[in-house]
Amino acid sequence: MKQHRAGLWETLRYQGGLGAVVWVLHRITGLGILLLVSMHVMAAFFMNALDDPISTTLTRWYQSPPVQVFVYFCVLYHALNGLRVLVEDLYPPLWRYHRELIWLQWAMFIPIFGLPAFFIIRGIVVGNP
Amino acid sequence: MRRLGECNGLEYYLWLFTRLSAILMLGAGAAGIAYANIWGRTLMDAPAQYRWAFFPIYWHVQNTDVPDVFPVWANAFWRVWCTILLLLASLHGFNGLRVVLEDYLHPPVLVFLVKGLIGLLFMFVFGAGTVIIFEWF
Repeated sequence: MKQHRAGLWETLRYQGGLGAVVWVLHRITGLGILLLVSMHVMAAFFMNALDDPISTTLTRWYQSPPVQVFVYFCVLYHALNGLRVLVEDLYPPLWRYHRELIWLQWAMFIPIFGLPAFFIIRGIVVGNP
Repeated sequence: MRRLGECNGLEYYLWLFTRLSAILMLGAGAAGIAYANIWGRTLMDAPAQYRWAFFPIYWHVQNTDVPDVFPVWANAFWRVWCTILLLLASLHGFNGLRVVLEDYLHPPVLVFLVKGLIGLLFMFVFGAGTVIIFEWF
């Protein structure tokens, strides 16, 4: 198999249109979930094992509203895009509607992400009622 | 398009595992959210919704007002449920990390070392999570 030596910069600069954008976002959100969930599990573990200040600081950081918005973005995007990939893999005739399915995915993502994110961000800016 | 027979064994099964664990995690998440919203009354803000989706164990969701959270959810069924979810999620996630890193790392020695490190991290996160589920709460 031929090795394609593409670096991170080439990946981000590749002009593959809509398909490349959702692919890169799937990778970034997946790595984001892995980082934050692993951090969450380890912080909970060390907080109970050692009660050290680092775990307390980490827990306070990932419970802060901006990180919550980021986690919510990652989980929701990765779930919806993963579901679309799954459906296209299980039923290949749907490949004809690849672009339409991506737009449908964004049409679902924007309200489901936007509404809770709006309330979390409003809570930061003006305080919760 | 590649035919099934041309696929290299382990890589194909990991590809399949990624899809199957995704279905199971989406189903488990939907079941958790549905259960919480049928039994919950108020206090179901967005963070509470997704805590229920992924990890419906009582200490994780005790600030929501789903009734009898302590005695009902501290049982073996939900602990095993959470352990299975944790296993699926950590395998899915660390395998994904391996796939991403293999696209950018080329020297075989480096790939071998990184795979070993990912294996150790997976064992540590899964072990720590299992201890949290069964021992301390």
